[in-house]
Amino acid sequence: MALLELTKVAKHFGRLQAVSDLDFSVEEREIHSLIGPNGAGKTTVFNLITGTLPLTSGTITFRGEDITGLGPHEVAQKGITRSFQQTFLFMQSTVLENVLVGFHMQCRAGALHEFLHTRRARRTDDDCRRQALEIIGFMGLSGVKNEVAANLPHGHQKALGVSMALACKPTLLLLDEPVTGMNPIETSEMIERIRKIRDSGVTIILVEHDMKMVMGISDRTTVLNYGRKIASCLPHEIRQNQEVVEAYLGREDL
Amino acid sequence: MSKTRKTVLAVLLVLIALALPLLVNEYVQQILILTITYAMLGLAFAFTLRVGLPRFDIAAWWAIGAYATAMLMWKADMSFWLTIPIGGLVAVLLGYVAFSVLIPRGMMVFLMFGMVLTLAFQQLFGSVQYFGGWGGTLPIPPPSIGSFQFVYKGSLYYLGLVLLSINLLVYWALYNSKIGRAWNAIGSSLTLASSMGIDIVKYRIANTLISNFFVAVAGSYFTACTLVAVPTAFGFGNSVYVMMYAVVGGLSHSLAGPIIGSLVITFIPEYLRVAKEWEPVITGLAIILIIIFMPSGVLGLIDRWRGKPSSPWTRWIRIKRRNRTPTEISE
Repeated sequence: MALLELTKVAKHFGRLQAVSDLDFSVEEREIHSLIGPNGAGKTTVFNLITGTLPLTSGTITFRGEDITGLGPHEVAQKGITRSFQQTFLFMQSTVLENVLVGFHMQCRAGALHEFLHTRRARRTDDDCRRQALEIIGFMGLSGVKNEVAANLPHGHQKALGVSMALACKPTLLLLDEPVTGMNPIETSEMIERIRKIRDSGVTIILVEHDMKMVMGISDRTTVLNYGRKIASCLPHEIRQNQEVVEAYLGREDL
Repeated sequence: MSKTRKTVLAVLLVLIALALPLLVNEYVQQILILTITYAMLGLAFAFTLRVGLPRFDIAAWWAIGAYATAMLMWKADMSFWLTIPIGGLVAVLLGYVAFSVLIPRGMMVFLMFGMVLTLAFQQLFGSVQYFGGWGGTLPIPPPSIGSFQFVYKGSLYYLGLVLLSINLLVYWALYNSKIGRAWNAIGSSLTLASSMGIDIVKYRIANTLISNFFVAVAGSYFTACTLVAVPTAFGFGNSVYVMMYAVVGGLSHSLAGPIIGSLVITFIPEYLRVAKEWEPVITGLAIILIIIFMPSGVLGLIDRWRGKPSSPWTRWIRIKRRNRTPTEISE
């Protein structure tokens, strides 16, 4: 059984069909990349999966459970978290504070304990802090953990976005263009980390423009164009797919 | 500021607060009592603003607290001390009914309904004879402990100070817990907060109910000072004033801000007694000038003067402006 399954999913904004008739499934422990030209509806698909946008029609199941129509926080509690395409952080907070928000779901000492600042609440809080620092270390942000997010270079901000999504301990992680605007070294570091995250048992859906990265890292690739799926195959088969090449390069270049 | 200087300052402030009624006449004591009430209301406003909800229904719940105390003492001869929690619970229960419908529908609905609610409660207390009508309830006896009665303004001031401290303590504990962290996240970005699994509706309702409780407590205290509850005292204008306390004090300081703000706004008119009818105009003008020239309030001005980096909460509210994106959930 597939971990995540989208069946006949559609999203219309008025007359604009951002996503139409999309069937799409993700197996456990794979890196599945979602590619397509600008405006193909990749981010919209993320917004539909996470419940940020309501579906026009269709169903989404996660671990065999229908999650269509759940709110974003409920989807997150089921174990699906995302990083955002725009660097979307609590800009004026430090790196550590940002990641700690991600621990919202794990560190539960009970409201009364937290209000009274009991030993139990302090212990869970310390525990969260320790784990947050671990994630920060894993993402290579240890050196800037007390920096305010707005002051970080772009690459670090992207890494922080992924750290926050990771802090939620997801089963399925949606990464929206995690390496955009990164230099080659940062990119290869990020690729390495994404692999490690997958190896630790997290399934990943990746939206990315960097084709070299997509080819190198993905187990499977789905190509969208104008909100429709035009191909779903292994990365190296993409080059041979007529329709994909057309979508990307246009007819003349053939 | 070093830790010792901070402690010295805190002790000094507490001493001033304790000594104040001994240094001034009864008229100023009366104003101080009003200030304490307003400070409690302002704190509640700042508290709910943390989750991105500006409240304009403060006067409504304030009236609930005031009327709970007045009615229970008038009709049921209940002790004043019992009426405080009862009034608070009534405000929480009624608030729960209202907010569980309103808050899922977003900030604008919440805001609009708050205005209407104030008028509705005022009308209810005014036109139903059981509540004493537009003339207000019958006078109630002052609160007492044993044979000691809280009649003198000075004693009422100290009672208010105790209640205000409880307010501050609870708010402080909440702001510095994980709950406060979730509230801050909601206040700065709904999209990001909910993508981290924070239930926005639940956390917002919890926040508003806590602040409802303390607004009702402020209402009970207000009745203890005036000894009657009159519907016209709880007009919508109060809600606007309450917002002003928080804004003038400095929105980045959720605890000290409303206290400073209510001191400034309550005392400006008292010393501007040029002509009674011009007083609101002058006060209004002063508030407009404060907002234009010190948008971060009195405390924000002090921060800037001391060259201090912004407080965590200032940082949180600034993100709100920066983080707007096309995928942002509408309020």
